[in-house]
Amino acid sequence: MGDSVTTNQPIEKRPRKQVEYNIILCSGPSCLHNKSSELYTEIVKQLEAFNCQSKVEIILSGCLGMCARGPIMVINPGYILYGDVGVNDVHDIIKGHIVDKTPFSQKVIHEDHLFNRFYRVFGDVKFFGKQMRIALRNCGIIDPEKIDDYLSVRGYEALAKVLTDYSPAEVIHQIQDSGLRGRGGAGFPTGLKWKLTADAEGEVKYVICNADEGDPGAFMDRSAIEGDPHSIIEGMLIGGYAVGAKKGFLYIRAEYPLAIKRLEKALTAAREQNFLGDNILGSNYSFDIEIRLGAGAFVCGEETALIQSIEGERGMPRPRPPYPSVRGLFDKPTLTNNVETWANIPVIILDGAKWFSTIGTKSSKGTKVFAVAGNVENTGLVEVPMGTTLREIIFDICGGIPGNRKFKALQTGGPSGGCLTEDSLDTQVDYESLAKAGSFMGSGGMIVMDDTTCMVNVARYFLEFTQNESCGKCTPCREGTKRMLEILTRITDGRGEVKDIEKLERLGAMISKASLCGLGRSAPNPVLSTLSKFRNEYEDHILHKKCTTGSCQAMLTYSINDQCIGCGACIRVCPVNAIKGIKRNPHTIDSELCIKCGECMKVCKFRAIDRV
Amino acid sequence: MKNPLEIIKVKRAEAINRILGRGYFSTKRVYVGMATCEIAAGSADVMEIFQTAIKNGLVDVYLSQKGCAGRCNLEPTVEVIEEGKIPVKYGLVDAGRAHEIIERHLKKGEVIEEWVIQ
Ligand SMILES: Cc1cc2nc3c(=O)[nH]c(=O)nc-3n(C[C@H](O)[C@H](O)[C@H](O)COP(=O)(O)O)c2cc1C
Repeated sequence: MGDSVTTNQPIEKRPRKQVEYNIILCSGPSCLHNKSSELYTEIVKQLEAFNCQSKVEIILSGCLGMCARGPIMVINPGYILYGDVGVNDVHDIIKGHIVDKTPFSQKVIHEDHLFNRFYRVFGDVKFFGKQMRIALRNCGIIDPEKIDDYLSVRGYEALAKVLTDYSPAEVIHQIQDSGLRGRGGAGFPTGLKWKLTADAEGEVKYVICNADEGDPGAFMDRSAIEGDPHSIIEGMLIGGYAVGAKKGFLYIRAEYPLAIKRLEKALTAAREQNFLGDNILGSNYSFDIEIRLGAGAFVCGEETALIQSIEGERGMPRPRPPYPSVRGLFDKPTLTNNVETWANIPVIILDGAKWFSTIGTKSSKGTKVFAVAGNVENTGLVEVPMGTTLREIIFDICGGIPGNRKFKALQTGGPSGGCLTEDSLDTQVDYESLAKAGSFMGSGGMIVMDDTTCMVNVARYFLEFTQNESCGKCTPCREGTKRMLEILTRITDGRGEVKDIEKLERLGAMISKASLCGLGRSAPNPVLSTLSKFRNEYEDHILHKKCTTGSCQAMLTYSINDQCIGCGACIRVCPVNAIKGIKRNPHTIDSELCIKCGECMKVCKFRAIDRV
Repeated sequence: MKNPLEIIKVKRAEAINRILGRGYFSTKRVYVGMATCEIAAGSADVMEIFQTAIKNGLVDVYLSQKGCAGRCNLEPTVEVIEEGKIPVKYGLVDAGRAHEIIERHLKKGEVIEEWVIQ
């Protein structure tokens, strides 16, 4: 969903954005110290002097990590980086870059340093201006099938640094200090997980990359692998070194053939260069990675089910403890992290935990990738610093709701998450804030819904998904979700009963408590959250047999109003002969017979058919 | 013996040399998005058109594929980068647009403003 949508709408017809450039001014502590606030005033002054303030937007950013060359300023489009910018340079830069359209070369920094960390924004200021790319730093920039391209952007340097300068314990310290948390859904502190695995007893240990990505609408991990497979391999190599593993597994769903092909190619190239194999880069660290294909069952993304699947068993979760970090794959201590989590590792090692921990909020550091789909102008993949608000993502980056419709709700966290309404739009993206607002960070799926969406139907859709994907091992999930789905289907079919809301709440609470794994425990979330935020829609469906958005077909009633001239067009198309009437006299629809197909409405030239 | 950091520096230098050997410093670098999503939107055909043009004598162009940058609804995307100029990213590039980008932008240096993602 979302990622492969082609629109036929030509670009020229899109409303033209006013802003043509943005200037990103680093306001990290060091640049501030170097007077970036005076620069700000000067930039405003010069823009006014050249009368171009209306086409330029100034963005103050957090530390861009190039303190030695500060103050730093970036101008987009073009991702042209200016360093050591003095107040006296501003005139030349603005005149050169924005008025004459040629970058002011004396102050341009040519090193590729930042390219390793941030996305080069080629035009497209609105979409990329507020993004910050760490996990996806190379996606869309390098050729993913050429290891040379990866090497040229400091690829495998983090691995080399670790092997040269760090003990495994020091690596774990770095990851702990960075504040990185798992990007696969639960947000468990990554460094702690590494430490638990490293401390576990045993000679043999394993590392796993979870690339199962089962949330409907999510495609972050696929893009990350397809765009930059070596970053993930390098992350796993560093993880293996830190916990003392010699072997890694990359568990990826078979539905991602291109990603698999690129991974295989990357693994082969990495072996040729001795990044994988024995005595890597002359050290005494040996490690290799094997790809394992999943068949696309959602539950196999759950850590313990995934482990069983790699072992060749049926993918079913098992109770914890023992935790996989103590007893996991083949009963050995096992470290599992998500694709995006792995992709962050090399950057943390190269640029330091300290730098990484300056990005984001108090409890959530770094960035998060979201796959934004649904009713937004620009569907796409965005990576934003933690702390960015949902409003910024939906309206600033993704361009808002198309067709002059109104925003209604946002579903984050996929089938395990909840929906958020207008009044939560200023929630900052971080694990705690989203949970507090009643949703869930999840792996990064984001579905935007406008006011034509029926929330009961949405809840039914997600529950149908989890019901299908329930592995059947525990009763609360297997039977409970089935009963909930029956009730929801009944409600959307117009056969809802007064007690249904209460039943849904009771079942939901029970399933959340009693299920074995996260799939069951979170399955009721979409229902419970829509119930709490859109209870009136449930009541309309049940008590008044009415779906205000007109989405639930079964509940619509068609009738003929006094605009009818009795032409008979509707009578001819009605497939069930539900319309009666004499020529030139108003017709009527027998609502008992009507199957609500809407054909009559399509052919009526006099707007005489009402649908409520 | 060299330590891993020293080894990686050599490897990087070699890699950069190989990239330069492939003509990286051509006047124009062209990147075509080739992820699952881009290919589904038709980028494989676009890639082929650029490849054919180079085979048939288009010079001074370094052609490369790239992963997805996240611009789902404007794919396929093609970027044209020229040294010293502001890079250009075209959206919704189909076969027709690809041919025109070759004729007008790559051969004559004209930026086709109306297809540029703003
Ligand atoms: C039903 C279910 C599905 C899951 N699917 C995924 C998935 O597709 N990818 C993923 O990385 N984690 C998934 N998880 C989370 C994993 O169990 C695990 O927490 C994660 O891989 C740990 O990595 P992290 O700490 O880097 O996030 C899923 C969990 C549940 C309960």
